Amino acid sequence: MESLDGTDWDVLIVGTGLPQSLLATALSRSGKKILHIDRNNYYGGSEAAFSLQEAEDWSRNVAKDGSSSATFTNVSVHRPEASETDSAKLSSSRAYSLSLSPQLIYTRSRILPVLVSSKVHRQIDFLAVGAWWVYTPGNIAEEDSQVRTGNAVGQGTLRKVPNGREDIFAAQDLDMKSKRALMKFLRFIGEYEEQGEVWEGHGQTSFSAFLSGQFRVPAALHAPLLALTLSSSDADHTTTEFALPRIARHLRSIGSLGPGFGSVIPKWGGLSELCQVGCRAGAVGGAVYVLGNGLTGPATDERPSDGATTETVTTPDPLKVVLKDGESVTTRWIVGSSDDLEPLQTSQHEPVEGTPLAEPKLCSRSITIVSSSLEALFPPMAEGAPIPAGAVVFFPSGSLNSRKENDAKPTLPPVYVFVHSSDTGECPPNQRVLYASVAMTGDVAVRLLERAVQALLSSKNLQPQPIVLWSLRYEQTSQITQHKESAASARTASPDERILVFPPTSLDLAWDDSVLDQVKGVWRSIMGDDGGEFMVFEDREGVGADDEGDEL
Amino acid sequence: MADSGAASAPKPSSSVKLVLLGEAAVGKSSLVMRFVNNDFQENKEPTIGAAFLTQKCNLPTRTIKFEIWDTAGQERFASLAPMYYRNAQAALVVYDITKASSLQKAQHWVAELQRQASPGIVIALVGNKFDLASANPASDASTGGDDADGTATAEEEEDVDGESDARKVPTKTAKAYADEEALLFFETSAKTGLNVAEVFTAIANAIPETSLKGPRGVGGQTNLGRQEDSARVNLTGANAQGPKEGCAC
Repeated sequence: MESLDGTDWDVLIVGTGLPQSLLATALSRSGKKILHIDRNNYYGGSEAAFSLQEAEDWSRNVAKDGSSSATFTNVSVHRPEASETDSAKLSSSRAYSLSLSPQLIYTRSRILPVLVSSKVHRQIDFLAVGAWWVYTPGNIAEEDSQVRTGNAVGQGTLRKVPNGREDIFAAQDLDMKSKRALMKFLRFIGEYEEQGEVWEGHGQTSFSAFLSGQFRVPAALHAPLLALTLSSSDADHTTTEFALPRIARHLRSIGSLGPGFGSVIPKWGGLSELCQVGCRAGAVGGAVYVLGNGLTGPATDERPSDGATTETVTTPDPLKVVLKDGESVTTRWIVGSSDDLEPLQTSQHEPVEGTPLAEPKLCSRSITIVSSSLEALFPPMAEGAPIPAGAVVFFPSGSLNSRKENDAKPTLPPVYVFVHSSDTGECPPNQRVLYASVAMTGDVAVRLLERAVQALLSSKNLQPQPIVLWSLRYEQTSQITQHKESAASARTASPDERILVFPPTSLDLAWDDSVLDQVKGVWRSIMGDDGGEFMVFEDREGVGADDEGDEL
Repeated sequence: MADSGAASAPKPSSSVKLVLLGEAAVGKSSLVMRFVNNDFQENKEPTIGAAFLTQKCNLPTRTIKFEIWDTAGQERFASLAPMYYRNAQAALVVYDITKASSLQKAQHWVAELQRQASPGIVIALVGNKFDLASANPASDASTGGDDADGTATAEEEEDVDGESDARKVPTKTAKAYADEEALLFFETSAKTGLNVAEVFTAIANAIPETSLKGPRGVGGQTNLGRQEDSARVNLTGANAQGPKEGCAC
């Protein structure tokens, strides 16, 4: 393979984000001729992971030509002045692998068995997410002057979310009445689907009102339950019908892959690792990979010159596209995210019928490297449980405001911080990475994220206070409404049935299995009924299946 | 690991991710085929699609399982490499001793690895197609790789100016470069098998013990005091029989 020019492909996959990479794996045994390109010089698209240097380059590039991708804006890097005497220092750039989309994956997500059945799981290590914490402000800052000095919050406390019934029984700061209310709610949520009469009338009411009204759960205990929803909205705007399935998902996942934890994160930079593993499977299957080369203009029809039309439905007439480096390729299918396919000028998605997920369309994020191992946030989870590599800290709406702000403004959304240990390979030992996220943009969001990180680091649980070594901030959009039926929308979004469009990356903080449905939908379009079973493969020749045992 | 005093205890086993890099047609895939299957195909077609193969390497004190990623067939685009050498613990950079430009390409790869790959990556520079160099009676004798002194075989070959010799890269030149960059260095023949096993054994020996704690780890990012293995979650159910908390199904 010396040149792309003039070659014919079955499928052109544009972008190496997660859906495209999973598609590459799904098609890796199809016998189709696949060209997989990415306009970036790195894999992963919106799910990429960066070294420090790469992150700083990325920041500069986004600032330079923000127009090329609408996904990320306002990227900035902050390196606090380090004093010479500080023992805590940044390591070399490559000691870090910072994830742009630090989602956690519930252990009952369908993606995990799919990784196993497609035999790519051997190349990924998954680590457990341990404790969940709720931040309680100490002394809500009364003085406005404190806001200006950046010290808006008094020293607060992180309280651990009870990890199931035993924890609730053991909790010493709960009175019997609260315990009973909580237990009653947990029993309900275990089979809430069968108890529609309890909640269906309250689907649209706020989850807080539901907890108080139906279960008499005291208001002080709403925050830990809200945390488990990972809702981007404040308590009043998180509906019962949104919250229940998500809390159920959390509780049902605990124990399914080992004791004490309900979610996992891939090692080496989150979803980026899934992208790379997906693309590697594609490459082993024969797909050709070209980075730094994207689409330039609309696709043109390349009908056979003799006027003959293709007979079968599954092999449409080829399309011709010109790549950035001037080469032109013909292909029967083009697949990519709406962002990657923008040069094709396919019409914008019209929202199709389907239930919109209550998820944010924009958010601000920060990635912060700190100088401590934050051991207090990673207590052992249970007997025989793996050492946790992640922790979740929830800052309820309003917990980071000064009193004045609370009075004056509409409620601000909550902030979530994922803390990753060096076991993830994302930072060197004795450092930690904090991934903070809030569902809004602008200066207020920046301030919220800063306060969240500051409040976490100065909380009573973590003394002496760790210092910030480096941080990155950015805004991310997911402009197009995401739909549950997006598998269908992926097929119908484009007027040209040969161009298949994935919706933009979800900003949800937990992995959403609907990505799998989208990939399967596209895979089915390309393969027709001859595809066999989706993502179910045998081990390839030369790859020993005996390695399960010797890794234990 | 260290706590097993019993002689009957199985040797510790670790996976090592190894990436193959080098110009097209220098014999990357052939080297791997020789190592994995002890096989050689004359006039092998260019590799279509990258390959992923595994092979165990038994050392006196431990077993190393190589996970070998072969970027063959797509050299021109140079786009597989970054994905392959990410978190790789070892790289085999191959050139063809009968083609001077292939050493330049190899040097380019070494530079990229030093710039981009894991800081502790073990790099071996390998000059392949030793069988095409004339006046090398050693090659037949060394088939099977009994010769313990791998690099010496190549060094005997100082008189590179045999008339019918296809060699274009003197051993001395490549060896000097390898020494300068602290690379392992071998001249091999995938065709005869010369030094092929030795390359992989040398790499296995050069991987620092500290980066072998987990099934996969990276030199320079070892995690003292915490066993990586004890953090790993098994997806295939071996430790999935924990208490089913809050779950009726």
